[in-house]
Amino acid sequence: MKVEFSAEQNALRKELRAYFEALMTPELKAECDESMGEGGGPLWREALKQMGRDGWIGVGWPKELGGRGMSPIEQFIFVEEVMRAGYPFPFLTTESVGPQLAEHGNEWQKREIVPKILAGECLIAIGYSEPGAGTDLASLKTSAVRDGDGWLINGQKMWTSLAHFCDYVWLACRTDPDAAKPHKGISMFLVPTNDPGWSCSPVVTLGGVRTNATYYDNIRVNDDALVGEENAGWKLITSQLNRERLSLVNFGPTAEMFNNVVRWAQQTDLPEGGKIIDQAWVQINLAKVRAGVEALKLVCYKQAWAMTEGQLDMADASAAKVYGSEFFIEVYRLLGEVIGQASLINRRTPGADPIASRIERLYRTASIITFGGGTNEIQRDIISAAGLWMPRASR
Amino acid sequence: MDFGLSEQQRDVQNLAREILGEQVTAEKLAKYDSYAAERFDRELWQQVAQAGLLGVAIEEQYGGMGFGFFEAALIAEEVGRNIAPLPFISHCISAAMPVQQFGSAEQKQSLLPGVVSGEQLLTAALMEANNEDPTQPRLCSAQAGGEAVLVSGEKLCVPFAEQADYLLLAATDGDGAVVVMLPRKAEGVVLEAMEVTTYEPQYRLTLSNVRVGAENILARGEQAQQLLASVAEHTAAALCAHQLGASDKAMRMTASYTAERQQFGVPIATFQAVGHRAANCFIDVECLRLNCYQAISRLDDGVDASVEVAIAKVWAGDVGHRVSYAAQHLHGGTGIDRDYPLWRYCTWLRHNEMMLGSSARNLAALGSKIAAGEAFCA
Ligand SMILES: Cc1cc2nc3c(=O)[nH]c(=O)nc-3n(C[C@H](O)[C@H](O)[C@H](O)COP(=O)(O)OP(=O)(O)OC[C@H]3O[C@@H](n4cnc5c(N)ncnc54)[C@H](O)[C@@H]3O)c2cc1C
Ligand SMILES: Cc1cc2nc3c(=O)[nH]c(=O)nc-3n(C[C@H](O)[C@H](O)[C@H](O)COP(=O)(O)OP(=O)(O)OC[C@H]3O[C@@H](n4cnc5c(N)ncnc54)[C@H](O)[C@@H]3O)c2cc1C
Repeated sequence: MKVEFSAEQNALRKELRAYFEALMTPELKAECDESMGEGGGPLWREALKQMGRDGWIGVGWPKELGGRGMSPIEQFIFVEEVMRAGYPFPFLTTESVGPQLAEHGNEWQKREIVPKILAGECLIAIGYSEPGAGTDLASLKTSAVRDGDGWLINGQKMWTSLAHFCDYVWLACRTDPDAAKPHKGISMFLVPTNDPGWSCSPVVTLGGVRTNATYYDNIRVNDDALVGEENAGWKLITSQLNRERLSLVNFGPTAEMFNNVVRWAQQTDLPEGGKIIDQAWVQINLAKVRAGVEALKLVCYKQAWAMTEGQLDMADASAAKVYGSEFFIEVYRLLGEVIGQASLINRRTPGADPIASRIERLYRTASIITFGGGTNEIQRDIISAAGLWMPRASR
Repeated sequence: MDFGLSEQQRDVQNLAREILGEQVTAEKLAKYDSYAAERFDRELWQQVAQAGLLGVAIEEQYGGMGFGFFEAALIAEEVGRNIAPLPFISHCISAAMPVQQFGSAEQKQSLLPGVVSGEQLLTAALMEANNEDPTQPRLCSAQAGGEAVLVSGEKLCVPFAEQADYLLLAATDGDGAVVVMLPRKAEGVVLEAMEVTTYEPQYRLTLSNVRVGAENILARGEQAQQLLASVAEHTAAALCAHQLGASDKAMRMTASYTAERQQFGVPIATFQAVGHRAANCFIDVECLRLNCYQAISRLDDGVDASVEVAIAKVWAGDVGHRVSYAAQHLHGGTGIDRDYPLWRYCTWLRHNEMMLGSSARNLAALGSKIAAGEAFCA
């Protein structure tokens, strides 16, 4: 065991930090702020392609697939740094759907889609949730019916994030309504958003983040669009979610925010003399965040390491997701307390402090991932069953 | 970043698991409850010595295995998992390791072979009344007496002092500290038994003008400060490992119990409220595990670990407390019944929490490091 980065990994991190410092121009930063941390603008797109051209998106991918052949640990360092730089990285596409397509996709998907993902030229949204299917995802109703040599897709999805600027939806459809168990009748498709039968309408959330309701009206696709085997979609969904969970709780942005708040508190005067950071309660808040970030870092890298060993543990993936998502809420609260009233001032206010206004916004977004990406109740069920061998009630 | 144990580490862990798992039983532990007998299984200690485990971090020339601190901490974890009645941390980590690192050739030759064979028992006196910082002795002072020093003062909560042959101890000497290996039988040493929550043998140590000869002075000045800082960090990290083993065991005991225990016609583990509280323990223990391994990995490598140790201490205190109460609660009345083995774990989880200095103090200490700009995230 060696819980330290190698010299090469430290050098890679340094290189990436410099790279992103140059990449994140003030114009790009402003555009990202405008999109509420979701991306999608023209400069954002161009920067993604740039990362693709520079070989970063697939840094930890095998060379045969167009990557640089480093390990998942280097891949995680890259994602950490890109997110730390404040770039809304489309990790759902690159870190979760991409690897699934590389592993289980058909010839067309491997030839056409995977290289485009690594080039930063293809974006994919996740289409699981429906108005009636949230936590109980297997009850989904959107259907794909055999139609000659292709499929006819009909239904509605809810909360399809990023869909308004994505090229495809990674769509879960019911293909066997009579399956013995609901999750055995589901298949995965890649559905193009430029199909005339596809449409979406915005749903705006508490944090200002936009998501979408998406509609599928007699969309016809051929077999190229089917991912994996017919009726074998559930496994793809669960392993995509396992990978998504790790990206959701990436600790890079939190580490950066902690450092920024410490610097701010070291430099900012108290009216009665001394600095903000001189106060005992401020130091305690910061210490709680620091101790928590360290755990998150280790939990994340243990999983990146487990991926290199090919033994990603289900209970560990769920533990990381629960811990990280609930910790973020605490972080925004604890750091917001340090900042004080300014953590209520949004970034449109002239002269608003960039760190404080970031906390203002993030505090409003923090609940999304306690239920999104597989709700924490289900994650805790998984942990007690898979991690502690406790029997659970049948559902 | 490598979170896997090496073959050597796995061997040490398995050996410790095998011996302790077999030899430490609830029946045997019951003998020591309420100080009915001295909580030191000398037979087991000899067995552990024969297996080579006392010398795991001691160089081969003194009869040790020549491995490092990581392997020693893995044993501390197993001692915690079994709450074994052994002075492993005080002997191997707090006393023998500093002798090996800072002692003279003669000191090492005279002490370490006996440490490894189990013929000599060492301990360390790290606490004073209202002073839990081992690097800053205040209530013990040393006066020069030619080559020797004369030590006077008091130490508290010294584990296994009565049973030990030598006690590592620090005293102020004018502008710094001096660290000695005090022979327990030296004239002027008075030991008074204390009774503590775990029933571990602990003593109040009073010294009046105890003469310690040059041969037993381990370090002075700058070296003494380095030694004490090192003892403090290594001991803390080993206590974290002990806490990890004990928390993990208490949690798994709870998982098994709730899977068996039926109420309302079903195993209570199937109630989501029960499963989720156990899941919280799993997350907690995992966070403790990783922070603890990070701290011991860095100490083992000899790189700066002060922030990592500070963080591991916070986790160890918090997790021990939370797991203890979750385990008790999820067992219902059985958890606190002295005929069921959980309760002893609860006393050790508390012991470690406080021996580590308490989470409130540890957070405050981490906070001052942060304020001083010494704990930014990399
Ligand atoms: C901003 C945002 C972005 C999103 N992005 C996407 C996306 O890109 N793609 C996508 O497919 N979905 C997305 N989602 C949807 C998200 O995955 C769902 O919100 C989530 O699965 C929960 O479903 P629900 O909202 O229907 O809540 P419900 O399932 O109705 O749950 C409500 C509450 O009940 C609890 N609960 C439910 N079942 C149980 C149980 N068995 N045991 C204990 N507690 C239970 C839940 O934990 C939750 O607290 C997004 C949601 C939001 C808000
Ligand atoms: C010191 C002491 C004094 C006592 N004095 C008395 C007394 O004077 N008279 C008397 O009659 N009794 C007494 N009791 C018994 C006490 O009332 C029981 O311990 C208590 O009712 C819990 O029952 P149990 O211990 O069998 O735990 P269990 O019922 O086995 O419960 C174990 C765990 O499962 C949880 N659990 C059980 N069912 C559910 C559920 N449906 N949903 C979620 N969680 C669940 C519990 O909350 C608990 O965490 C005493 C107990 C102790 C320890």
